[in-house]
Amino acid sequence: MSTLQRLTARLSEILDQDSVITDPVRLRTYDCDGLTYHRATPGVVVLAESAEQIAAVVRLCDEYGVPFVARGSGTGLSGGALPRTDGVLIVTSRMRRILEIDIPNRRAVVEPGVTNLAITEAVRDQGHYYAPDPSSQQICSIGGNVAENSGGAHCLKYGFTVNHVVGVELVTPQGEIVELSDRDPGYDLLGAFIGSEGTLGIATKITVRLSRTPEAVTTVLAAFTGIEGGGRAVSAIIGAGIVPAAIEMMDALAIEAAEAAVHCGYPEGAGAVLVVELDGPHAEVDHQFAAVERICRETGAFEIRVAASAEERAAIWKGRKSAFAAVGRISPAYIVQDGVVPRTALPEVLAGIDRLQEEFGIRVANVFHAGDGNLHPLVLFDDAVPGQGERAETVSGRILDLCIEHGGSITGEHGVGVDKSRYMPRMFSEEDLDTMQLVRCAFDPKGLSNPGKVFPTPRLCGEVPGVRRGVHPLVESGAAEQF
Amino acid sequence: MSADADLAACGTTVRPAGDGDAVAGVLPRWVALPETTEDVSAVLRVAAAHDLAVVPTGAGTMLDWGPPPGRCDLLVDTCCLNEVLEHAAGDLVTRVQAGVTLGALGETLASQGQRLVAEPPLAGSTVGGMLATGVAGPLRFRYGTSRDLLIGITVVLADGTIAKSGGKVVKNVAGYDLGKLFTGSYGTLGVITEAAFRLHPLAADSRWVTAPLPEAERGQELAATLAASVLEPAAIELDRPVPGGGMLAVLVEGVAAAERAKAVQDLMGVDAEIGEEPPSWWGRLPGEDLLLSLRGLPAALAATLRVVDAHAARLALTPHVRGSAGTDDLHVALPTSSDPDRVAGFVSAVRDEIRPLGGRLTGVALPPGVAVDFWGETGALGLMRRVKDRFDPDHRMSPGRFVGGL
Amino acid sequence: MDPELIKDCVHCGFCLPTCPTYVLWGEEMDSPRGRIQLMDQHVHGTPVTDEMAGHLDACLGCMACVTACPSGVRYDRLIEQTRAVVEEEHTRTPEERAVRAMVFALFPYRRRLRAMRLPMALSKRLQPLLERANPTLGAMAELAPPAARPVRLPPVVRARRRRRATVGLLTGCVQGEFFPQVNAATARVLALEGCDVVIPPRQGCCGALSLHSGREAEAKRFAMRTIATFERAGVDTVVVNAAGCGSSMKDYAEVLKDEPGWSGRADALAVRDLAEFLVELGPVAERHPLPVSVAYHDACHLAHAQGVRSQPRELLGGIPGLDLREIAESAICCGSAGTYNLFQPVAARELGDRKAERVLATGADLLVSANPGCTMQIAAATRRAGKGEIRVAHTAEVLDAALRGLSPQTLGWVTEDAG
Repeated sequence: MSTLQRLTARLSEILDQDSVITDPVRLRTYDCDGLTYHRATPGVVVLAESAEQIAAVVRLCDEYGVPFVARGSGTGLSGGALPRTDGVLIVTSRMRRILEIDIPNRRAVVEPGVTNLAITEAVRDQGHYYAPDPSSQQICSIGGNVAENSGGAHCLKYGFTVNHVVGVELVTPQGEIVELSDRDPGYDLLGAFIGSEGTLGIATKITVRLSRTPEAVTTVLAAFTGIEGGGRAVSAIIGAGIVPAAIEMMDALAIEAAEAAVHCGYPEGAGAVLVVELDGPHAEVDHQFAAVERICRETGAFEIRVAASAEERAAIWKGRKSAFAAVGRISPAYIVQDGVVPRTALPEVLAGIDRLQEEFGIRVANVFHAGDGNLHPLVLFDDAVPGQGERAETVSGRILDLCIEHGGSITGEHGVGVDKSRYMPRMFSEEDLDTMQLVRCAFDPKGLSNPGKVFPTPRLCGEVPGVRRGVHPLVESGAAEQF
Repeated sequence: MSADADLAACGTTVRPAGDGDAVAGVLPRWVALPETTEDVSAVLRVAAAHDLAVVPTGAGTMLDWGPPPGRCDLLVDTCCLNEVLEHAAGDLVTRVQAGVTLGALGETLASQGQRLVAEPPLAGSTVGGMLATGVAGPLRFRYGTSRDLLIGITVVLADGTIAKSGGKVVKNVAGYDLGKLFTGSYGTLGVITEAAFRLHPLAADSRWVTAPLPEAERGQELAATLAASVLEPAAIELDRPVPGGGMLAVLVEGVAAAERAKAVQDLMGVDAEIGEEPPSWWGRLPGEDLLLSLRGLPAALAATLRVVDAHAARLALTPHVRGSAGTDDLHVALPTSSDPDRVAGFVSAVRDEIRPLGGRLTGVALPPGVAVDFWGETGALGLMRRVKDRFDPDHRMSPGRFVGGL
Repeated sequence: MDPELIKDCVHCGFCLPTCPTYVLWGEEMDSPRGRIQLMDQHVHGTPVTDEMAGHLDACLGCMACVTACPSGVRYDRLIEQTRAVVEEEHTRTPEERAVRAMVFALFPYRRRLRAMRLPMALSKRLQPLLERANPTLGAMAELAPPAARPVRLPPVVRARRRRRATVGLLTGCVQGEFFPQVNAATARVLALEGCDVVIPPRQGCCGALSLHSGREAEAKRFAMRTIATFERAGVDTVVVNAAGCGSSMKDYAEVLKDEPGWSGRADALAVRDLAEFLVELGPVAERHPLPVSVAYHDACHLAHAQGVRSQPRELLGGIPGLDLREIAESAICCGSAGTYNLFQPVAARELGDRKAERVLATGADLLVSANPGCTMQIAAATRRAGKGEIRVAHTAEVLDAALRGLSPQTLGWVTEDAG
């Protein structure tokens, strides 16, 4: 019997029969998250219903030396929840209770499987909402948001998950249940845990901060003949001292896709559209709106639409929010890239992407959070044409190189996961990565929590801090790197 | 070779320490004055070779915060790491060395109409000091604290390793966020040498609305009403020098600040006044030498203050409470002349009683005679210990200054 | 199963929160994304195992996922193809087979249904007993609506004002037998709005139940017969008031694509849901005030399969005095889903309870929906919850009352005194 089989046999001590999946056909449905490029059928799937169950499963993993991966809704775009064939996939989709809504203290306590949007829906009537809004907010789980430090279109003004989570209960990779609170003295382990992509443990209870629904929201859609005009408008808006809730841009190809998918009715002939959302007190929004409208006209917008109602706002956002999946309508296959550059470097980087398109004969649709320089190039290809997939991969990688060259990042919100770990050494030095690894070793000395993600090479933790032992066989064979 | 010789040869100015260099009463032997991150690394490598205990310092405005270090051989003074490396106004980003004072940084940024919205409540503090202590000013209510604005950091570890995380873009999730870990770590994990922040435009206009702080639940309700108001105040601060008497001040920022301030005034009652300047106590600590931090839940503000008042009355102490009523993140100052035993009694009693309300009372600056657990209980001490053991296995960085004696 | 249709799925997961079984059980293999993965496994050679069949059978076919999908995956088409494969390749247990045989021998045939009415009414008293014997029999008994007074509709109802259109009316098996008053109301509303309404006698089943359960041959037979019936009636537009029937009739061209000549005949017949048709036509008849609060329930086969969401709301909202209320989680199926509540009674019951809770939370006087299955299902759930009876009505009945100036008290049937 394999180690995993022995472990699986003992899962019945912890969980009901229908919470442990071992049937191969069922297991296969968990073989990837939102990134289908990487697939691995999990060894066993556990549908947990409490922190205690997760802790017990993790303790078993610790005992048997079996790796485990946490998964929420499985919508991640970097393969962060890619299972291990030799490991346990711990799924939190059944832990979806909103445990407490505490308006006086502007917070809510939720289980990790609760969807991002469900929190806002639960408190909307009371004039509040949960600010981070990833495009997948109706389905992505808060547990996944914590793992990835998810942002969204509105993080330009409001920040990311890490700025809106004030407490986490987690199961450490050794199976302890630990509470992290922003009020407790000591290291900001909460801040370190959020965005660690499941490598430091599994969040089992999350306390989020609730924000007051703004008095006024105005959404402006400005159409430009080309991406340059849109870029000028973004710079001018920021230069005018305005921090909109969101500034989003789409290029002609992305508009074409969105139009095909959801008939969003963006102005005809637009080479780029800019979506600017302003929110806050009426008096401020009115003023900012006037300035934004003037700036868009001055920078060459040929049509400006203003959403006055929630329905009109939804119509403007519909095209933008559907863009990723919509590209499926104009291309048989595509890669969603996620890179960041300083906003002022956008024109240069976009020109660079144009050159790559020509050089490799690959089309790239651009959707981006223009306010914070977060690009989502969609690299289109036809997997039926031999060699195109590889060329698309190359273009996609070159785009990240462009981002790094311009002082940016290889990921703004999708995470490193399994997909981008190989790019980490281009952005960080050995020392940087080794130092990050110190955090990993403090939380997960055996390296069982989501191994193979974030970091490029498997690294081992010395068993006793500060003491170097003999060379590990994995290091000797070159399969791992001691640090 | 001796530590003296190695320090002299490491390429960085190192001088012998004088009386003025004491850290919470503990006198170091040397003071290093590095000018670059590499200098810091060289100095720390020497310290590692000779098992020297190291304490980083900036302007020294908060150097005495925290318990005294268990030992202190070398003070790493970042005063010469004082360059604003980059101000990319179009990107709303700045990158600075840790020894830059917030005043100097503010001037640089203001010249292009921008600002760092984190502002420690002490004049002259450096960026490094602000990050190491995690201290925050009134604007934390709207924008968060320095940890929320920090987008990249460079640190030097105990063994001299230079490491960075984040970068100079506001949106970035590549790798672990060491910035969060180092913010508020009181110099116990390494030396912060550089930091990058996201910036905000200067406020187009500002108004402060002040009114007497209503007592007990009425005060709490008013703070809650303001915090949840669609008027979106930037800060809500209280100042309460004595029980039963205090002020509440609300900052409104923006083009329409004047108009919105009037609406805030309506909420605050007939005694509220609008001013174009902050009240004199705004953004300043209520005291310096005997200072506590009181954090809690906004809906427990009244109950928390009642606990403070009750124990102060019982022990004949006179606490001065000041800070953010919007986030219930307050400071409590006691007169330096207060009896140390009573102060210790006050701290333990208040700490125990507010814990069930979700409150935490920790020391900030305590005179040596106050025999009390400086930090109090914390949730994840085991994990914190493991982090410390990994970053500083020999416990040479600001030893003993942090939670659990780390 | 068409591999090209399977490939359209990019695995984004946007379908998950709209899928009733995912909402209930939180399992990937009971979500549209997971089911597509199962289909993919089958296409790549994995045989239909008991587990696979179980998860595919558990799909309600509510098509909420089709509405939610940004990539335009034709899950509706996929699940129909898949059901046919499962029917063909999978051997069900004898008990399952018996239950399915009974349902398909009964529901598509009006005369047989009529014969069932008395025993069903009686069986309500025996419901707990039946429940123990077989959950499907229990579910049937629980759902039974009150015995309706038979309504005989004339073959043609003439327009009551200047004629603007001539349409055919599908009477439907379940609608016609259990809710004949809905058909009567539909005909009156159409006539009052200026339509000649042709109601061919001896209409058969439109094939919806068979189509949604993978009984392809049977579905085709019913489809051809229905097309022929309306061709003979000489109409080119058929108005349908039952959501399930409308959605499958709109798919006739696809169902009959391999039958020479039939696809074109199917295309020539315009099928419209009543609400869709009335909004396209535009209101002319006067609406009298109808002071009543209404919770409008989106039938899946109307909202998701046909995309008809705004029209019923527009019609109801256009009635003076009517207070229209939204039901939370409106996109989630009530669990009725054609024959689902008969084959998957446990899941259907959970979904019914969930829906009933949200309907009751609106505090509305009247529950309105365009599908008889939904109203039966929700009414049964409110009864189970011990919350007494909620009055239910079809959109057509509400419009009928408003056009004729009836009191709101005349609206809505309750089932307490049934049997």
